[in-house]
Amino acid sequence: MSGQPGFNVGDELVGPVRAITAQRIEWYDSAMLSAATNELRQVGSNIHTDPEFARSEGFPTANADGMIMTNWCSEMLLRTFGMDYLERGELRTKYIKPVNLGVHLHVRGRIREAMKQPSGSTLYTIDVWCEDEHGTKLVDGDAKVDVARG
Amino acid sequence: MLGGYISDLEKGDVFKPVEYVITAFMCSEYAHGTEETSELFHSARNRAGRQFRPPTMIHVDKMRILEANCDKERRIAGMKGPDARVHYEYHARHHSAAQVGEKVIVTGHIVDKYVKRGRPYLWYYLEVRTADGRLVTTYNDLTVLRYKTEGAQ
Repeated sequence: MSGQPGFNVGDELVGPVRAITAQRIEWYDSAMLSAATNELRQVGSNIHTDPEFARSEGFPTANADGMIMTNWCSEMLLRTFGMDYLERGELRTKYIKPVNLGVHLHVRGRIREAMKQPSGSTLYTIDVWCEDEHGTKLVDGDAKVDVARG
Repeated sequence: MLGGYISDLEKGDVFKPVEYVITAFMCSEYAHGTEETSELFHSARNRAGRQFRPPTMIHVDKMRILEANCDKERRIAGMKGPDARVHYEYHARHHSAAQVGEKVIVTGHIVDKYVKRGRPYLWYYLEVRTADGRLVTTYNDLTVLRYKTEGAQ
C-alpha cells in the first residue's frame, strides 16, 4: 500500500472540491464529540454552528472548523501516498482566513521537493492549500511523506 | 494554571495524561464526519487487514486532554469559556499508525503563550503513544484564545 513512485517536483495533487454547508460543519463537530466520548453526540451552539453567536464573537457569520479543511487535505495525501502517509507522514495547516458558510472550496497540493534518502526511500515535501472559487487562499500549509519505494 | 479555563493555561503547564482504548466506532465516526471514505478507517476489510485511527484524530485527543485539565471549560460536557477560541495552526507528525483495540496515552504541555496583533495565542505540544511505548503522533497546535480584539464590538 505504498504511494505511487516517481512524483516529480511541480506535480499537482488532486483534492476534493466541496462547498462549505451547515450540514458539513455539523457533521464534523458532532463526529468530534462522538469520537471523544465513544457514543453518538450532537454538537450544540458555537461559532461554527450558530451565526448569531459567531457575530457576537467578531465573525461575519458562522464559519467552518479548520479541522474540516485539514481533514480534506489529509484525505488528498492518503489518496496519493497511502500507508506511507499514515505511518510516516506529516501535515501542517494554517487557517489564514475564516472559511464562511457558502464558500466553494478547492483542496490542492503540489510537490515542492523530492529528496532521495540513504535508506532508498524518497522524502517528498508538498505544498498544500485550500482556496475559494476566486482562487483566494484560505488555508495554507505543507506536508512531508517518506515514501518507501519512491 | 491547570484546573481553570483554557485561557488560564500558562507556558510550562504540564497536562495530566489521558488514556483510552481506540474503538471501531471512534475511528469510523470521526472519518464519517469528514467524508473520509477510505476503508482503512471504517473496518479491517482493507488491504492492510486492520482498522486504523485517522491521524487527524489528534485533534480529538487535544479535546480529551483539555477536558481532563480545564475543569471550568469542559467543552465535551457542553461548558463554554468566556470567549470563543479559534484554531490557528495544526501540525501533526505521524510516527506510526495506531489501530482499533490499542490503548493510547496522550501527554502534553503548554509551550508558549503570547499576544500578537492584539490577540492572545496558546501553543500546545502533545504526544500520543501506545501503552507499550510506541510513538504514534507528535503534535503542535496554535490556538487564538480570543478572536475579538480589544475595542471591537
